[in-house]
Amino acid sequence: MNKTTFVALVGIPLLLASCIAAEQDNTECDIEAVSLHFDTPSDIFYHDYDTMMTVISSETNIEFVVRSYANVQSVPLTLRVTEGATIFIKSEDGTDVPFQNGSLVDFSDERIQRFHIVSEDKSWSRDYSISVVHEAPSEGNLFIDFEDYSLDPSGKYYQWVAPDVFTDGMWKNGNPGFKISKSSAKPLEYPSTPVAGGGPDGSACLKLETCDTGPFGKMVNMRLASGSMFNGIFDVGNALTDALKATQFGTPYLHKPIMMRGWFKFEPGSVFQDRMGNPIEGVIDEPDAYVVLYRNEDESGNKIQLDGNDVLSSPYIIGKGRLPHHYNADGTDQLTANPIHGLTSEWQEVTIPVVYTTEPDPTILQNKGYSIILGFASSWGGAYFKGAIGSKFCIDNIELFCE
Amino acid sequence: MKNIKLYTSLLFFFLAITSNAQEDAWEKWGPTAGLKSGGFIARAGYVIGGTTPLPLPAEVRKINGFSPRGGISIGVDGYRMFTKRWGISAGAHFFWEGFHTDADVKNYYVWLEQEGEITKGYFTGTNVTNTELWGVTLPLLATLRMSPRWNVSAGPYLSLYFDQTFSGEVFDNSKGIGYLREDTPTGTKILMSRENPTPYPDNFPDKMQPVAVGIEIAFDWKAMRHMNVFGLLDWGMTDIWDRNFEAITFKMYPIYATLGVAYRY
Repeated sequence: MNKTTFVALVGIPLLLASCIAAEQDNTECDIEAVSLHFDTPSDIFYHDYDTMMTVISSETNIEFVVRSYANVQSVPLTLRVTEGATIFIKSEDGTDVPFQNGSLVDFSDERIQRFHIVSEDKSWSRDYSISVVHEAPSEGNLFIDFEDYSLDPSGKYYQWVAPDVFTDGMWKNGNPGFKISKSSAKPLEYPSTPVAGGGPDGSACLKLETCDTGPFGKMVNMRLASGSMFNGIFDVGNALTDALKATQFGTPYLHKPIMMRGWFKFEPGSVFQDRMGNPIEGVIDEPDAYVVLYRNEDESGNKIQLDGNDVLSSPYIIGKGRLPHHYNADGTDQLTANPIHGLTSEWQEVTIPVVYTTEPDPTILQNKGYSIILGFASSWGGAYFKGAIGSKFCIDNIELFCE
Repeated sequence: MKNIKLYTSLLFFFLAITSNAQEDAWEKWGPTAGLKSGGFIARAGYVIGGTTPLPLPAEVRKINGFSPRGGISIGVDGYRMFTKRWGISAGAHFFWEGFHTDADVKNYYVWLEQEGEITKGYFTGTNVTNTELWGVTLPLLATLRMSPRWNVSAGPYLSLYFDQTFSGEVFDNSKGIGYLREDTPTGTKILMSRENPTPYPDNFPDKMQPVAVGIEIAFDWKAMRHMNVFGLLDWGMTDIWDRNFEAITFKMYPIYATLGVAYRY
């Protein structure tokens, strides 16, 4: 009898507690991937893999780049959205019309099509734009002065317009990740910031600074954020799980870069620290600046996208130029007390030639088979959360010369 | 709550028809100094239970695991019988109790604040929680002697916590799904993984109430002349969190049972 009582005593609360309520409808309403369907994709795209694009969660402007002569007047379009979400396309008069996957969409004349996605529970919605842009002839040489900047839509941090040929026409950096860890930071307290009137010519320059990520960064052993700037994609969604994967470097490029020249100045922070935040004696932080050309497709036609793991070491790299460091070829060397990058706290012009291990194939080059990376960081170990808080790397008037 | 009523009435019914004991049995198993006197009960027990929202919110999709932590209670009650059947008792039970739970959640609102930095949003994935509580419970109970060897007591209690821990972490579930939507369900999707789980901030215990009030129900069975076997339930009626704590949007209640033996005098 006492057994029964005891079972009742323990059982009643556990019974009550173990009732799982009915699952609620999804609240999310993302476009997760977009596909355009063509019978012969290679007539339209530079790569077959370009017919499908996965969309990162922070992106709402989706842009496909196609060959200059591609006809995109009626293209079957398929969107993969959050389970249960409903898709609407905005008609000419601005009303939302339910959209059936596979329906034909007119992308001619660089038309921007707008989509409205409503969550399963009908409480949330997101607006997206999808467009198809024809490749325009481009000159390979670039001049970058970081003058065109503004606050992002959240008003928390700065963002910079990049040359049109780069992904989304925007420079990418770690600011969106820093926002997650340090919500209290003001726009000029972020790792990548503009300095109005700070350039060697008296106009604005770019300042990259290695910053403390605060208590949340410490919790996940990402104690510092190097200031950064590169072309490609910054997938902030990966910032916590696999930070090296968050930085996806490079944009397909039609030209062969031979040299980067720019104005730089650098001041190292006072204490170099490892990932666990331990100070490392005798090591002085160093900045990084590089230009890379790599093959963006493997033998089987799969996309090659360099990220933080292999941006400077991938076997798909054919040409590379980098600010000098005391580094081993595999990048394993510890930094020394005698940096050879030659930068000081005064502005100076630096030339970085691109050295090729393999000459680019002209046909592949014309078909966007190579991607270019321009990358800058205030701590060269920043990808591994090593560096000195307070290292400042200022950059201006970058010129890229192509053959 | 229906269940409790049902169980309790069944129990009373059962006891009523079986308690046909003789008067000498009432004497034999009664307080040592006589039927209308008092005494004390020194208790030692194993504590099992948890701190839980009631009912479970819809955000909780699946409980993957539950295990008790700590689980020791030592205390003493003084009692006084006014009649053959009725009396009161009061005491102090020192406890160390807690639990570990592993649950899959969907759209679970989190609001984390550390040193002025705030991260908030909706989490989907696996949430692991550990909590341990050290303190003392002071019950004030009415006692009904149902039969010579059975006592049931019920009444309010006050718990004072000396120390509390509340820790946990979030990561992806067994299907590999684990992410936070920053601010709203349409915000940036930040992935979480078990290779690099995200811990709760260490300031959660600061947001816990130092006291709790609830109802205790105790069953004592007199196994030997001076030894009881007992089971008691402490059902917390107050939220363990500060009213203005935004990290957890639902109220959580401590519900712990103690099973043990006691020396009775």
